Parts: sequence; C-alpha cells; structure tokens
Amino acid sequence: MIYLDNFRSTMVAPEVWAAMRTAAIDEYAVPAAFTQCGTGAAELVERAQNRLAAAIGASQNEVVFTGSGTEAINIALWGSTWAQAVDKPEIVTSEIEYPATLAVYKALEKEGYRAHYIKVDGEGKYDLDQLSSVLNEHTAMVSLMGVNHMIGTIEPLAEAGTIIAEASQHVGRRIPYHVDFASALQTQRLDVDAVKADLVSFSSNKIHGPKGVGALYVRKGTKIRPITFGSESYSPLVPGTPNTMGIAGFDKAVELLYATFDKDVEHMLGLTNRLATGIREHIPYILLNGPDGAGRAASHLCYSFLFIEGEAIMMFLDMDHIVVDTGSACAAATLKPNYILMAIGRNHEEAHGSIRFTLSRYSTEADVDTALAKLVPIVERLRAQSTIRPPAQ
Amino acid sequence: MAIKYTTKVIEHFKNPHNIGVIENADACATEGSPACGDEITVYLKIDKATDRIEDVKFQSYGCASNIATGSIITDLAKGKTIDEAEAITWKQAADELGGLPPVKMHCSVLAVDGLRSAIRKYKKEMKGIDYDSTLDVKTVTEELKHVLWPPVGVDIITLKMVKYIGIDQGAVRVEISVGSDDKFLDPTINEIVEHVSKIRGVKSVNVENV
Repeated sequence: MIYLDNFRSTMVAPEVWAAMRTAAIDEYAVPAAFTQCGTGAAELVERAQNRLAAAIGASQNEVVFTGSGTEAINIALWGSTWAQAVDKPEIVTSEIEYPATLAVYKALEKEGYRAHYIKVDGEGKYDLDQLSSVLNEHTAMVSLMGVNHMIGTIEPLAEAGTIIAEASQHVGRRIPYHVDFASALQTQRLDVDAVKADLVSFSSNKIHGPKGVGALYVRKGTKIRPITFGSESYSPLVPGTPNTMGIAGFDKAVELLYATFDKDVEHMLGLTNRLATGIREHIPYILLNGPDGAGRAASHLCYSFLFIEGEAIMMFLDMDHIVVDTGSACAAATLKPNYILMAIGRNHEEAHGSIRFTLSRYSTEADVDTALAKLVPIVERLRAQSTIRPPAQ
Repeated sequence: MAIKYTTKVIEHFKNPHNIGVIENADACATEGSPACGDEITVYLKIDKATDRIEDVKFQSYGCASNIATGSIITDLAKGKTIDEAEAITWKQAADELGGLPPVKMHCSVLAVDGLRSAIRKYKKEMKGIDYDSTLDVKTVTEELKHVLWPPVGVDIITLKMVKYIGIDQGAVRVEISVGSDDKFLDPTINEIVEHVSKIRGVKSVNVENV
C-alpha cells in the first residue's frame, strides 16, 4: 500500500509501538505517589510532558495529555472561553479551521457567543487586517491553525500573535489565543513565546504516534476551567486515569520527530515537489490548491483535476492500493464540497475534482513515482468518459 | 457504519458498459449539472419500426456510483422497447447493482432521469407526445419525488418532509421541514431547486426550511 493520506493519520512508528507495548505490559500501573510502579508510571507521563514542553519552549507543567486532538481543542476553546469574564462575548477564528474548532464555535454561537470567521486569500492565508479589525473588549477567544490540513497553507501565527497581544494591551486584559498545531507539528517548529500563544493543541496520530491521544499546552496564568470532571490526581483539566500507553507512544513519536526533523522535512519537500512537477508535466487542466513553494507545508499537495470528479479518482487509485483524499462533495458525508476549497475561491466543479496528497517521512520516491504513473491514465480515462470537455477539444 | 460499495458497483465502475457517444443518435439527453456534482448524458439509437432500443451509450461526470448506475441502466435499457425502458425505476437500477448506500441513491435517480429524458425527447419528436405538463402543485410534487433525503435514500414526498408548495406566476415556493443545522439541508435545497427548475414555466424557485 502507498499511503498518501498522512494528514488523516500516520503509521505508528515501530519504535513507538515498542514503547507502547512496554507501557501497556510492564508499566501498567496508574500514575501515583510512593509505590514503585505508581511513581514509575508518573515518571513516564512527566518525561513525556517534559519532552513536548521543551520542544515548544514551554515548561513541564504547562502540558497536559488529552484523549485526542479534538479533545484538546474542546478543552481549550470551551474551558478558556467560559473562564473569561467578558460582557457580550465574541469569539474569533477563520473559515478554514479544522472541523473540531468550527464545531465548537457553532456550539458556542448557540450559547449566545458572537462569532467572527476571518476570511482567507486565494492561497488560504488569513486576512490579518480583518483579524485586527474584529478584536475588541468583547473578544473572549481567538483560535487559529498552524498549517491548513486541506491545502497545506502555513499560516502567519506569530504575526497574528502580535496583533492579539497589541489588542490585549489595548483592552487591558489578555485575549486568549489558541493555536491548533495538529496538522503543523510534522513540518513546523513551534516556539510558544514567539507565537505568543496561550493554548496549543496537538495530536499524536499525525506524527506516527497512536490514535486516542493528544496534548494541550496551557500557558501559566491562562484562565481556563475544566469541561469534564472526575479524579484530578493526574490533572484537574483532564480528569480520570491518563492513557499511559498512548502517552508513552506519543512521547516516543515526539522524540523521533525531533531527532531527524530538518532532514525529514527536506525529504518530504523533495517528494511533494517531485509529485507536483510530475503532475504539471503530465496532466493538463489542473489547479494547485494552496500556495506554491515556501508557503506550503512540505507534507501537503492538493490539486484539482478539471472535468472529472474526485471520488472516482480516489477509488481508482485505491484499487491500485494508493490512498489519497478528495474534497469532492460526492465523497463527503454531507454531500457538500470541501469548505476550505470554497473559501479560497474554487467553485463546486473545481472542488469536485480535488485530490489531496499528504506525505510522511516514510514516503519514498518510488511511492510518489508509482502514484503519478497510476494517476495519469486514471485522469485520462475519466476525462474520456466525462460529459464535460476541455474547451479546446 | 462503514459506507462501501457492492462488488457489482465496483465492477461497473471499473469497467462501465456502454460508455461513450452514439454519433447521429436518435435521442440524447443530459441530466444533472456540474455545479451539483454529477451529470449524465444518455444517447439512444432506436429502431423506428419496432420502437426497440438498438443501442444506448452514456457519459458521466460523477463519482463511482454515478458511473455504475449509468452502466447498469444502459444494460437494462438495451433491447427493450422505449415504453419498457421508460418504466425502469431507480430502485430497480440500484437493486441490479446489489444496492447502493442511501447517500448515493440519488445517483440512480439521475441515471434513470437521463434515460427517461432521452426517451421522452424521442417520443416528443417522433410521436408528438408532449410530456411537458402545466406548472401546478401536482407536477411539482411529482418532480420532488426525484429528490431523495440522503441519510435514508427515500424521496422527500414519501418522507412527508414537504410541508407546502405554492405557485404564483412561475415563482415556486417549496417549504420543507428539516433541523436548521442539519448537514444535508443545503445539498437538499440545491437538489429541489435543480429539479423544480426543470419544469416548464418555472421562473424562480424559493425553498424555505420552516
């Protein structure tokens, strides 16, 4: 199988699996005080907190592990928004966020919060002037993302952080700034101080860790309250027994990520460029979705193939054991075209023929070359069957 | 629940029967629209003495089930008289494929609509049978029977989701009842507009969720 859908989820690295096995079978006690096995498990969790914290310029007690990236986003957004004592509260995000963020915002809107959705340009980059213009004394939350999961746009997090910090100074209160870093972690380094983030969400399964574990950075002093309740022995913010097996896996994944980070990013960039060049050379009538070159994350490549539909392309590739994703309405559970592609100005038809390739450090030149070799005749064949023709033909 | 296609759908998608164009076809019709995500064109060659479909081909801009349903309806229609072929239902087409996921049943409706439209064009031209009926509540209701509610793949009339149909000098108002944040609301409104707009005399379509 050639797996080019690594944003959805990555393969668990063999070293990660080994660490999880040890945690599950040899270190299965619940983190606790005094006993050897309990403190061993507690140290496992602390080690993981330390490693992630060190990687993002935070301290150990500013990192908690959650049940997923989605749970981290929920704790950050509900927990911190609720904790703000703001009159007629308003919340700010963009129109191209990850579904978890948008779902929480819709739910908060039902609770009476007024939401602002920042627009993006044709490459998916935030309109920072608009961000600047909507911040005021009522703002209770700003949530933005590091890399857009569909089109790979690297977002200007630090510039946004400066704008939010200035607005905070102006209103005399810290406006909380949440960053969804789940799709960025694989290719972008993060310094929470440089970005001026108060809350950052992470997901383990985007970086060759297991599913079912995420993490949340909470800057010391950030107003936040828990959204679930239970035993607080691990953390008041994430009550209950921590998933030590998942945390051990996530920790190993973080260790591996940073051990070869620059080399891996360069490797992925080489592959996405190679794939992009091949597509441009062999397939006419295409549109690149998202930025070309440096503005796009090394892992992402999203093209629209005009006159045909993406689910059909995806399924033909799948029969050849090549896994990709599409923004086509036909493949969506909602029958709607991908909202991110619509936000960058694509029409239904253009969104329909979209295919997203997301690579990982394990992807190879042979993977990319095989995918391209299979893709070209699939596109030609579907175009020959289509009711729509290029204008010239 | 995992949504997957039957082996038969996959077979017809991989190797669609009767794909292509008939030059000098006796009738040809296109249904759907690229903006709505799927479109099918059906071509017919008809023996004028017997009214039998000698050859049928189709082209498809759409997903796997769109291609597979195009393939199966052309198989079903070939060799039949135009009256027999016109009576093929979308349920029959889907059953022939071993079933379709509910969310994909509209592809079957589209394929059958394409076939019927081509047959009706032929009947109109050759026999003077005019199917374009007057714009009234009954015609709109009939047309709305072609709009399926995606989660269950059953039409919105049968499901009693249409609460009101009003017509005023070509302006059609359709009131439906769906949860305001239902994820299928927007695509269903688009489908209603697409279908009702096809009826002769319709100047505008306004769908309200009440």
